[in-house]
Amino acid sequence: MKLKKIYEEKYKKLLLIPILLLIFALIQIALQYATTGDFVNRGITLKGGATITIEGETGMTPQEIQRFLTDKFPISDISVRTLSSAGSAIGEIIELDTQERSEIDSVIAVLKDRLDLSNDSYSIEIVGSALGKGFFIQSLIALLIAFGLMGIVVFLYFRRAVTSLTIILAAASDIIVTLAIFNLTGIKLSSAGVAAFLMLIGYSVDSDILLSTRVIKRNDGPVTERVYGAMKTGLTMSATTLAAVLISMVFIQNDTIKQIMVILFIGLLVDLIMTYIQNVGILRWELEHKQK
Amino acid sequence: MKDKLKGIFVQWRVLLLLTLVVLALISIQPQLFGNEGVVIRNVVVNSSASNGGIENPSARLTPLAKERIISINTEDISSVEDYFLAANDLRENQTIKVETSKRIYTLVAHADEEGMIDLGLKIDKAPLSNLRKGLDLEGGTRVLLKPSEPVAKDDLELIISNLKERLNVFGLSDVVVRGASDLTGEDFILIEIAGVTEEEVKDLLARQGKFEAKIGNETVFFGGKNDIPYVCRSADCSGIDPRRGCGVVGDGSTACSFFFTITLSQEAAERQAKITKNLTVISEEGGAYLSEDLSLFLDDVEVDSLRIGADLKGRASTNIQISGSGVGRTQPEALTNTLDNMKKLQTIIITGSLPVKLDVVKMDTISPSLGEEFLSNIFLVGLLVILAVAAAILVRYRNLKIAIPMILTLLSEMVLILGFAALVGWNLDVAAIAGIIIVAGTGVDHLIVITDETIRGEVTSDWKKRIKNAMFIVMGAYLTTVACMLPLLWAGAGLLKGFALTTIAGISFGVLFARPAYAVIIEKLLR
Repeated sequence: MKLKKIYEEKYKKLLLIPILLLIFALIQIALQYATTGDFVNRGITLKGGATITIEGETGMTPQEIQRFLTDKFPISDISVRTLSSAGSAIGEIIELDTQERSEIDSVIAVLKDRLDLSNDSYSIEIVGSALGKGFFIQSLIALLIAFGLMGIVVFLYFRRAVTSLTIILAAASDIIVTLAIFNLTGIKLSSAGVAAFLMLIGYSVDSDILLSTRVIKRNDGPVTERVYGAMKTGLTMSATTLAAVLISMVFIQNDTIKQIMVILFIGLLVDLIMTYIQNVGILRWELEHKQK
Repeated sequence: MKDKLKGIFVQWRVLLLLTLVVLALISIQPQLFGNEGVVIRNVVVNSSASNGGIENPSARLTPLAKERIISINTEDISSVEDYFLAANDLRENQTIKVETSKRIYTLVAHADEEGMIDLGLKIDKAPLSNLRKGLDLEGGTRVLLKPSEPVAKDDLELIISNLKERLNVFGLSDVVVRGASDLTGEDFILIEIAGVTEEEVKDLLARQGKFEAKIGNETVFFGGKNDIPYVCRSADCSGIDPRRGCGVVGDGSTACSFFFTITLSQEAAERQAKITKNLTVISEEGGAYLSEDLSLFLDDVEVDSLRIGADLKGRASTNIQISGSGVGRTQPEALTNTLDNMKKLQTIIITGSLPVKLDVVKMDTISPSLGEEFLSNIFLVGLLVILAVAAAILVRYRNLKIAIPMILTLLSEMVLILGFAALVGWNLDVAAIAGIIIVAGTGVDHLIVITDETIRGEVTSDWKKRIKNAMFIVMGAYLTTVACMLPLLWAGAGLLKGFALTTIAGISFGVLFARPAYAVIIEKLLR
């Protein structure tokens, strides 16, 4: 009950939580940029390189494969990790920073020899570095365009500056905080991950639109009651989506979809704070200001 | 309750949704009881199969419309293994009866260079629906090419049709070759070849394929139909060169030579006559030859150089023999490589060169077995996700009257997306599947909004108003999601287009048909 009281009465102070989160996120992203020269850990689809996916049991740990390959190819930057589904390993993913066919072919030849692979038990993805960089830049452009279009739709829909800006701010905070947390996981962002961020804008705005409509466009009952009403619906939405995302994240045997789900999972959790603390706080502040 | 159900099924929104679901199922045509035979994916040119009249399937055919092999010599073929077992029993020159879903063919078996009987058919499991499995689910090769310099739209189309023809000549017709451009207006060409793809095919795609025959510094003829109207590809005038054969070269490896004849156009032949007229005749190795050789260049690299017999001096001969070679560590490997090189060269000469050089900017090779596992994995995950969502809904509403219509509506949305995918023939790849999952996610969200808006009964007793309120929120959410997906239609060489399209199409079907129908159902059930 105490929590409820704090939530209802100290909503202005609670705004500090999303603000601090945002500040921490921006610091993380700045540090990431300062140490790596990039504000996100780019995977091969966004910077060029090659991925070799070996399916099934290899009999070697990823560390062993990595050591084995680095011994043979000292110049290349090689990283190996395990692709797992529901906790058990279903394959190994080897990433190389090269896109030279001949070099990749020799890595495969060595692997085939060592791990006794058949011709159809591995997949290769090679991305040219110019294309990868192009993808990255275009992803940023796409993100900006998506944000702009979303903003226009929200403005046209509500025709109220503060309400619209609050929604856009909530979506932006969600993206930024999610990106920072994603960076901390150490996962490398792929082009599909960018799509997930775009999708996250959509999901994040959904709950904000619901909240704003209920609180501003309706006059049934006191503001807090309307907020709770929106929250009940919004939390049900988040719960079903989180359940679906969590299950896909754990059980899917595909790295691309797994990454999409990881991003959505983080983003949906962050969105709870952005919607029910940040957005609610600002909305109530605005309504209070108007009443005076 | 009975009356309520009756009331539901006379609502036009519900009827419209049901009609669309039926249409979607018709377009998917799921073969619930299995499909007999194995499907023909490609027919190799000049093989037993193509000589016997079996046609290369067009890429435009829907999966179920493709020709299937039902039996070979009255023995039923129901799996890929059956086909290979049956093919193993065949003997050279044996007459074979192949029954397909279209008709019965009579073929004559031929052995290849290694003595194996090969009918020249590339086959695969019979499809179980009209849904096209993308490369990620089926295995295969995806190549993204980029012209090395900007090209005009016409040139791009020329390149695409040329590449298609190259693959066709190679015996691959079931391929996707299409142009794609990105946000900055750069052009790309995307090629998708399903199934196991031979190395030489990949090699062939990126080649500009500028074939030139020169005498001294003068070009006699180019590859392509203008100079070379006919290229022999049958056994009597192409193959391993009987005069040069195979031999061990310096470093212990084996080299073999191939030959094939071509027919020059009159114009090219005249050009040759004019150039050879001025050459002198020299005698060596027991024969009389011209002082200059005929050198063959592929993409500016010399492939081979041929002596020209003295009798050709100044003669406009239209029949020319082209030759080249291949190397391998062992003789069989050398033979295979030599014949592969021959096939590549023939293909390039037939289709001519591309207007620009192409760079391979992305190449994915996906293992077929990985794809198959992934497919069953998706079904498992899909099922688990539906169960989890159903559980969450039940926990919240504790009412089957809400949960059951909600899950059914969700399933109907999935069917609509898949039906649409089957209808327009787009490939279901990882991106599209991610899109479907997303659609399901927004679908549940919107259904929850509709439910909550309608059961907040006390406030307004006007059902129309409640549904209007609900649809206001749903439309807002819909429009913003579509806005976010739009830029992906162009970003990144169109590789995320599948994701964007599926998401946009799926949400649109949901918002236009399925979700309004759900609102009506919920109204009738709860009123």
